[in-house]
Amino acid sequence: MRRTVLWLACALVLGACRKGEDIPAAFYDCAFSHTDSSATNPAGGAYQAVLDGMVSGGVVGVTMSVYHPGSGMWTGAAGMADLHNGVPMKACNISRMGSTVKTFTATTVMMLAEDGLFDLDDRIAAYLSGDVIDRIENADRATIRQLLQHSSGIYNYIQSTAFQTASLNDLVREWEPYDLLAYAYGKNAYFEPGTDVRYSNTGYIMLGLLIEQVTGKPFARVFEERIFQPLGLTMTRFAGADPVPDGIVRGYVDLYSNLQVIESTYYSGWDYHTADGGLISNPYDMSVFLRALLSGGLINAASLAEMLTWRTESAPDPEFFPIAYGLGIFKVETPEGTAYMHSGDAIGYYANMLYFPDDGTTVVYAVNSNYGRIDALVSTREALARILAGTR
Amino acid sequence: MRFVLVLASVVLTLALHGQARSWPVAVSVFNTSTAVPYTRFFTTPVHPGIQAGTEYDHRARARSRLFQSAYLNYFYHGHLAQGIGLGTELGYEHRVWRGLVAETRLGLGYTHTFTTAEEFTFANGRYERKGDRGNARFTPSFSLDLGWYLRPGDRNAPKLFLRYQSWVEYPYSPDFIPVMTHINLHLGVRFIIQRKGGDA
Repeated sequence: MRRTVLWLACALVLGACRKGEDIPAAFYDCAFSHTDSSATNPAGGAYQAVLDGMVSGGVVGVTMSVYHPGSGMWTGAAGMADLHNGVPMKACNISRMGSTVKTFTATTVMMLAEDGLFDLDDRIAAYLSGDVIDRIENADRATIRQLLQHSSGIYNYIQSTAFQTASLNDLVREWEPYDLLAYAYGKNAYFEPGTDVRYSNTGYIMLGLLIEQVTGKPFARVFEERIFQPLGLTMTRFAGADPVPDGIVRGYVDLYSNLQVIESTYYSGWDYHTADGGLISNPYDMSVFLRALLSGGLINAASLAEMLTWRTESAPDPEFFPIAYGLGIFKVETPEGTAYMHSGDAIGYYANMLYFPDDGTTVVYAVNSNYGRIDALVSTREALARILAGTR
Repeated sequence: MRFVLVLASVVLTLALHGQARSWPVAVSVFNTSTAVPYTRFFTTPVHPGIQAGTEYDHRARARSRLFQSAYLNYFYHGHLAQGIGLGTELGYEHRVWRGLVAETRLGLGYTHTFTTAEEFTFANGRYERKGDRGNARFTPSFSLDLGWYLRPGDRNAPKLFLRYQSWVEYPYSPDFIPVMTHINLHLGVRFIIQRKGGDA
């Protein structure tokens, strides 16, 4: 009897483990035509070595683009797009880009300000109402510029332990903007508006609502019309309409910091419908976007100058390079020089895009694994220093 | 490992002790969640669990008792983890009115968790499928119960109970998420198995 119970218990534990989804390799083929100098780029071997080094340390898969004005665009990949089906990563593969979308959100807001739909120094309360304004401290006084620059002082909902545990409790839930904003209701602001800077996803959800309010369209459609289509970003989309589109690489998390990963492709539902995350793209398209923005191809010179007006936080993060906040973009002092950057996390994905204004070098990389011990290979100061040392 | 052995011996001792006279058995089904304790009561989606245990009275009076419990449980938290746990609790029960009792428990446990998804392990420079050996967790807990004895005044009567158990999982993810907090909401019954000649 006891042996039967033991066997039943073992069968219960083992049988309750879900296997991965069987997906044909053709699912990851890219309908993507572009020209680059990858085959002839003299530094291609060095770039590839950076990617191979990340994968040999425990990153599941990585794609990268490196653009130098002299040698053009190089794209490469290493590792796996799908572990269950044994599919290697390709440079064209699309991945979740997380908070890098904030640069798109900010760019769109700057465009709409250029159109005269609002002024950056208008209060957000002039356009939004209800609980968003009444129950989020500082929301009644914060300006659009302060939301863009993270200087509103508004509480970052992602910092809420209640949100973090709720997100883990329902990993496949798709969160709507007001579900997320509710985690900022009643929370103390970090500081008075305009007196400091501190990263806040809450502010960017509000900016997404602002875009929808003044255009009468979903913000993702405005991204499409104002940025994706004009730049020909055929591999770029927003998650909302199709959160797990054909071709997206599988995501993996090292949740327990032991380099034992599980798939998390469907677990980023908190950023499918809000303007603080949810972008899906590849490093080629992201490079095209970043260079277009910073060369004045998307917004006028005055708007760009406003985006690149910097503020530093009163309590800098000692774990990272010195950083300054612009409008939807950061300035970071790396060992390889000053770069404009934005990074992004989703559950199982990480991406980073950097532009070096001294010579126009643009580096974008995306990985399909994060958290635990993998973060030390992709997103820390040391990781970024290693990656840039091999690509500058 | 020593902790697990000590805990297992406590569970076994209590079970055998109970069997020598009469055997209080508590069985419950529960909904487990990752949540900040006392911010939520019932959470969705439901992640089911089942628990069986026994108790030993340190001291029993007309309106109260101080007791030790021992339990085994299993939970399945969809997409995240499943676990098999054992533990012991020091409990205090106070009769409030007729069959109504309030109870509090302070517990210490061990849970071995396994992923509920296919796991890939990094070895020799690449990820490979390997058997999941699971993760060891200490699981201290604190519970508040409301119970109802079906025959007021009779300590051996069956008791229905609702238990709000908060517990933490440690270590969870070193250098990333050190501790994970949980809530289990139990619905259960405690009853006495009388042995022939037992004195309950």
